[in-house]
Amino acid sequence: MRIGIVCPYSFDVPGGVQNHVMDLAEALITLGHEVSVLAPADEDSPLPEYVVSAGRAVPLPYNGSVARIAFGPVSTARVRRWITNGDFDVLHVHEPLTLSLSLLAVLSARGPVVATFHTAMTRSRVLAAAQGVLQIVLERITARIAVSALARKVQVEHMDGGAVEIPNGVAVAKFADAEPLPGWPGECAPGAGGAVGFLGRFTEARKGFPVLRDAFVALADSRPGLRLLVAGPGDPDDLYDQFPVELHERVTFLGLVTEPDKARMLRSVHLYVAPNTGGESFGMILTEALAAGTTVVASDLDAFRRVLDGGRAGRLFPTGDAVGLRDALTELLDDPAGRATLSACGDQVVANFDWPVVARRVMEVYAAAIEATDGRVIDQEWVGLS
Amino acid sequence: MPHMWWVVAASVVVGLVAAYLIWTAGRVERLQGRAELAARALDAHLLRRAAAAAVLAERRFGVELYAAARIALDAHPDEREAAENDLTRQLRSVRLDPADPDCGAVIAASRRLALSRQVHTDLVRDARSARSRPLVRLLRMGRGREWPRYFDIDDPTLTVPTDVPAS
Repeated sequence: MRIGIVCPYSFDVPGGVQNHVMDLAEALITLGHEVSVLAPADEDSPLPEYVVSAGRAVPLPYNGSVARIAFGPVSTARVRRWITNGDFDVLHVHEPLTLSLSLLAVLSARGPVVATFHTAMTRSRVLAAAQGVLQIVLERITARIAVSALARKVQVEHMDGGAVEIPNGVAVAKFADAEPLPGWPGECAPGAGGAVGFLGRFTEARKGFPVLRDAFVALADSRPGLRLLVAGPGDPDDLYDQFPVELHERVTFLGLVTEPDKARMLRSVHLYVAPNTGGESFGMILTEALAAGTTVVASDLDAFRRVLDGGRAGRLFPTGDAVGLRDALTELLDDPAGRATLSACGDQVVANFDWPVVARRVMEVYAAAIEATDGRVIDQEWVGLS
Repeated sequence: MPHMWWVVAASVVVGLVAAYLIWTAGRVERLQGRAELAARALDAHLLRRAAAAAVLAERRFGVELYAAARIALDAHPDEREAAENDLTRQLRSVRLDPADPDCGAVIAASRRLALSRQVHTDLVRDARSARSRPLVRLLRMGRGREWPRYFDIDDPTLTVPTDVPAS
């Protein structure tokens, strides 16, 4: 099958949608399909061979943040040329309601069009102002995919339509085969040692880092050799100021990490802790930690409970309860067999999120979209008569 | 010559109105056609599921499931939604083993049916909303084609899809 995928955001900057598109494209290629990805990118940036550049993206303040997107007559011409040359069986656009290549592609193409909605933010202010335009865009889409229950809910309630929920995939092999950082995770014996990890914006309240800090500080006194590995954006001083001076050498801060380093970081600890206090729609990081074979300790949030199969694949503790977290850490660090049992169950859970499995489900949506349209994806003058 | 400008302005307006009408007619036609194709695909998947259930019933689970599958296959259009819901209930009441090829076929057919139902519902909604616009009704665009109809059945998904076998 010939598949055309459009990514609205530039591959020059890392991001969730870009990673999703690349992993999906690679999984589809592995399954034996021909895939072409259209994305904005600088002329000289190195790209995988299946990516076609649609030109430089311009930074544009958009919906409260800065998005690097491509839009305008030049981009339109490139999109249309790509569609004509591609001769695709199905066109798969991501985030089609942002002012982007995806929107241009939807408006330019006729035929089976599948759209994936990533964020709960699906309506840009520009489009919300023009309900009629929104309807014209949505009409061109044959089948819709939502990556989370929350994104699907927005579809149903605000966009007047359904969507198939297919979660984000995890490149299990990339995590399972990553090399731990040198010197990590180190010894872990009953009563001593052990490494605990945290990834995320530690300054953001809903990530719950203070809960982990309190548990760590309380546990560090009685447990020599216990170490904490923190990764994520932020200023090191803000992090170390939260800990007593004598514990500073037991806290390691990696800063913002790349995707490969994230996998290595997750492989470098005995326990990965997700102390979030709310606001997580899916818990991607948990599936990644499970893929790395690391035991997960997470707050008892709905989304986390679902990923961890009600606590069979990882330990849940009462949300925001530092004492509960400390007890869970103590127990699991002293119990290698318990960790192994949780990890074994984690392997089964994460198999459902493995990219080849997710890609096959996406393929079924392609098939459903193709059945509901006749012909292939063709370029169509969208400003003129239809 | 002010007179001349009136003619130009009038022809521009007439031209724009005509363009809009042609565009709208094309849009209604396209949405209508797509809803019909989706209905045909849905029909095929309903038949496929009922056939797979009948094959399974002949080997396991016996007469009740077989009867439900036969009734779904033969149902009159007016009774088809109820018959398909009955079949879904029957399939849910038996223990399907994903490792068994016949059970696997029913589970896969149900999953494809769920997708097809979702797409059909969305496309029918688009077609109906286009056809119920006042202008479209006034000019009776899309006449001669049947008013697109929803197919209202319960979600036929059987188990949370864990693995999709390569096919």
